[in-house]
Amino acid sequence: MNGEVESKPNPIEQFELHRLFPFEVSGFDASFTNASLFMLLAALGVVLLMVVATSSKAIVPGRMQAVAEMLYEFVANTVRQTAGKEGMKFFPFIFSLFSFILISNLIGLVPYSFSPTAQIVVTFAFAAVVISLVVLYGLYRHGLRFLNLFVPHGVPLPVLVVLVPIEIISFLSRPISLSVRLFANILAGHITLAVFGGFVMLLLSAGAWAVLAPIPILAIVALYALELLVAFLQAFVFSVLTCVYLNDAIHPGH
Amino acid sequence: MSQNGDEAGDDEAALRARLEKLDAALRARDEERRAEDAAAGEPKAGVGRALSVGLNVFSEFVGAVVVGALIGWQADRWFGTTPWLLIAFLGLGVAAGFWNVYRVAAPKPPAAGADGDEGR
Repeated sequence: MNGEVESKPNPIEQFELHRLFPFEVSGFDASFTNASLFMLLAALGVVLLMVVATSSKAIVPGRMQAVAEMLYEFVANTVRQTAGKEGMKFFPFIFSLFSFILISNLIGLVPYSFSPTAQIVVTFAFAAVVISLVVLYGLYRHGLRFLNLFVPHGVPLPVLVVLVPIEIISFLSRPISLSVRLFANILAGHITLAVFGGFVMLLLSAGAWAVLAPIPILAIVALYALELLVAFLQAFVFSVLTCVYLNDAIHPGH
Repeated sequence: MSQNGDEAGDDEAALRARLEKLDAALRARDEERRAEDAAAGEPKAGVGRALSVGLNVFSEFVGAVVVGALIGWQADRWFGTTPWLLIAFLGLGVAAGFWNVYRVAAPKPPAAGADGDEGR
């Protein structure tokens, strides 16, 4: 974050993609970029946390095992509360989603690292998977009755003519809002951090004003605490909304 | 022996009663903790919370407007009715955006739907 501001502070530079291993598949640029690297790291982090932490299978959990168990129970409770018992069949999916987003948000907070969730492509891919799952499962489970989702109960016909298109647009906007929310939160947080880091740089190189340089540093410390909260909160919000949408697929019709 | 068996039955009944009591106590504590969590989750860091809520509402609103505009624009290209469908769907998109924002901001709708959680 503040590491990227070497000569001139540029808060956006941290989001630039670099090709680490250029690679092309029939005209498509499928290079292994720094985003891919950090996503791989996040996935490995999740696997490591789960495999290593639970390897001892202690009845009284150690520190890592306690983290893993808390994570599991937290997500399980979330799924049960928002999508009901039937939603539990999606638990593996939601747990993977939650832990992956959480770990990549947290990895992105390490200075000099990269935050894959600050890329709209990444978050939109997640949202697209979620919405496709909702639509496909809804259609598979309820057939065309799934479309009742767009017809609110107890509304007179003339109002329905306007309301149904609005509901459809509202539904179609879900993947967009889902992805933009995660992306914008992480992006905004990292830009804020980098801007404050830039203040430190500018103050240090402004002669006597350098006395003021610790103030933005204090702000960065506070912001870091906030960003930790946001990293967790956004992963949570993403999975809760996934559960809510899946709940719609399980029980269509308001 | 028969006396013993009776005792065992009594024991079992007592055990079950105790188990039920424990279960109730556990459940009560669970609920208490949940209520505590909910209370603690509300008034977190002022600026961060505001930023989060703002971005949330922003994404809900803009998402709907963008989807409406895209549908209208594409439909116009298909049917050659530029710009009427774009205008119509933009209006619907704005309405859907307000509808989304309303759902986010509405204070816990009484309908048992899980939609109430959307505003987090």
